[in-house]
Amino acid sequence: MDPAQYMKALADLWGQGGQSFVAAQQNLLRDMAERFNKPGDNAPAPAPANLFDPAAMTQANEAFGRLWSSAAELSQTFARNLQQGKEPDPLVSGLLGRIFDPSAWFAGSEGMDAALNRLAQGPRLADIWNTERQMLAVFNAWTALRRRSLEHNTVMLEAWLAAAGSFAKLLNEKADRKEALGSWREVLALWVETANKVLLETQRSEPYLKSQRELLKASTDLRLAQQEVAEFYSEMFGYPTRAELDDVHKTLTELRREVRALERAGRDRPARKARRSGVARPAPSEEKPS
Amino acid sequence: MSKPGAPVEIRPEQAVAAAAELGQKLARGAELFAKLRDDEVKIATTPKDEVWRQDKVTLHHYRALAPVKVAPPVLIAYGLIGRYTMADLQEDRSLVRNLLKLGVDLYVVDWGNPTRADRWLTLDDYIDGYLDECVREVARRHKVDKVNLLGICEGGVFTTCYAALHPDAVKNMVITITPIDFHADTEQDRLGHGFINLWTRSLAPEDIDRLIEAHGTLPGEFMGSVFSMMTPMRTLMKYNLDMLEVMDDEKKFLNFLRMEKWIADRPHHPGEAAKQWLKDLYQDNKLINNAFVINGRTVNLSDITMPVLNVFAKDDHIIPPATSQALGAKVGTKDYSELPLPGGHVGVFVGGKSQALLGSGIAEWLSERQ
Repeated sequence: MDPAQYMKALADLWGQGGQSFVAAQQNLLRDMAERFNKPGDNAPAPAPANLFDPAAMTQANEAFGRLWSSAAELSQTFARNLQQGKEPDPLVSGLLGRIFDPSAWFAGSEGMDAALNRLAQGPRLADIWNTERQMLAVFNAWTALRRRSLEHNTVMLEAWLAAAGSFAKLLNEKADRKEALGSWREVLALWVETANKVLLETQRSEPYLKSQRELLKASTDLRLAQQEVAEFYSEMFGYPTRAELDDVHKTLTELRREVRALERAGRDRPARKARRSGVARPAPSEEKPS
Repeated sequence: MSKPGAPVEIRPEQAVAAAAELGQKLARGAELFAKLRDDEVKIATTPKDEVWRQDKVTLHHYRALAPVKVAPPVLIAYGLIGRYTMADLQEDRSLVRNLLKLGVDLYVVDWGNPTRADRWLTLDDYIDGYLDECVREVARRHKVDKVNLLGICEGGVFTTCYAALHPDAVKNMVITITPIDFHADTEQDRLGHGFINLWTRSLAPEDIDRLIEAHGTLPGEFMGSVFSMMTPMRTLMKYNLDMLEVMDDEKKFLNFLRMEKWIADRPHHPGEAAKQWLKDLYQDNKLINNAFVINGRTVNLSDITMPVLNVFAKDDHIIPPATSQALGAKVGTKDYSELPLPGGHVGVFVGGKSQALLGSGIAEWLSERQ
């Protein structure tokens, strides 16, 4: 293939978004992971350190799944039972269902997760097969990111369950006192207040901070693994690599720094001379070295 | 014990009425939204002129809105996280306009839009390079030896370091919502306050190095996400409930959109400078301990000998008051004052009550020290 066409293909892939592309590659890449792990099979390259860990992924999935079932059930119970003793109105049930939907917490708290994913999953280079090992590293890093993301969502789901529990307790207390919330705004205000407290407490907890940190590390690893692939192709087709550009920019920054220092020294020289001859200095900070 | 009643008694007719009201709001909002043009959500509109430029950094001089009464001129320095436009969000919520109307001669430095190409810029470059050049330029234009500095947030750290390294160049220093002791968040146990401090300390230094290696900068959207995490339910509700509440009221809706515009305009933080910011300051707390080094020179807070006004927000969840107030015990001047204002980090600049107090508080304090 003509290098220009390769670059076009790369550029097209760069802009490709969504999870479906990665999902389509997943089986193939898993096969590759297994092949690379098989001992004595054509002397494979050493496996990357963060090799896909199916057991850990399954564990994370199961933990999330268990919590999700509880949360979903609780959410439905809320929506159903909040109008206890009456014929539930579908409109009200629908509204309450939305308010207490635990998935909204991922949508809201996912800001960081989504930002990390957007940042990490820029280039999509998986359909060019010359560098299987690098691609495997990308896959492993991607899998690790999904796992960390799942673990983080599990922490969030636990928080949702805690918030829902506190909310239910408050509602029961109100019911015992024969008090009732008469509008969706009142319901929402109580929920927001309760949930906010739980969320803020969660954010200060060790499990939350740990899962955030692991998520950040995983997204960084993925980004760096992708950059290695990009470096390979850039080098192959004679285009500047990221490392080379960083190098150029470093040199440029250092040169600019030197120019600034020289310009300043040039400006300061007459001032110093003037000071030596007893004339007041024209600018403030010129006595000090920079 | 009597059988408890239903905890929520929303009658169907109420729900229908609420839904109808919602529908009307949405319709009015959609109509308003269709009429809106980008010009109407412009921010930072106070007229100013570019007077100096170096690399991506520009220095602007605001045009006077009243006869100048306060001298020497004031140079505003915002940080690299966010943009100076917060100080001039809109005509009726603008620290810049308030100061100009009170006769303050005002300059602002704009750090521009750093990209990965600016990865290697350090805080040394910003403080001892660009900011120093701006100070010199203002001094040169007005034929004075010293200028007044007004630092905001991270910009307050810049001006604090600058004032310690170049006390002869600074007449008075005002800092607003500025962290000085980055570990003082632990002094007050207020839920939701100081999360950035805690979060940054939870990272290992190598996590930060690798993040910068991967992106070249501290991406603006990344910091945006960290800020969003600090107000979780607010973030969750912002685009459905908050917006819904205001979208049929043109004035409130425009205010909402202007704020969103400012939030969205979050530049990337140059990588090496970000490492210093997060590791040297947030993690190692070097500034308050007189261990922060700029261009080979240690920033000693006791070298700040000019008058200092420290403005902080009493409910600032991003920069808890204690992290700012720590400066008082460290400066080398007896003329140190504090101006605590109601509200939060951004509310100081845009909240009705605070922003009025902020402008007049600063102008009065400066005019007493000309």
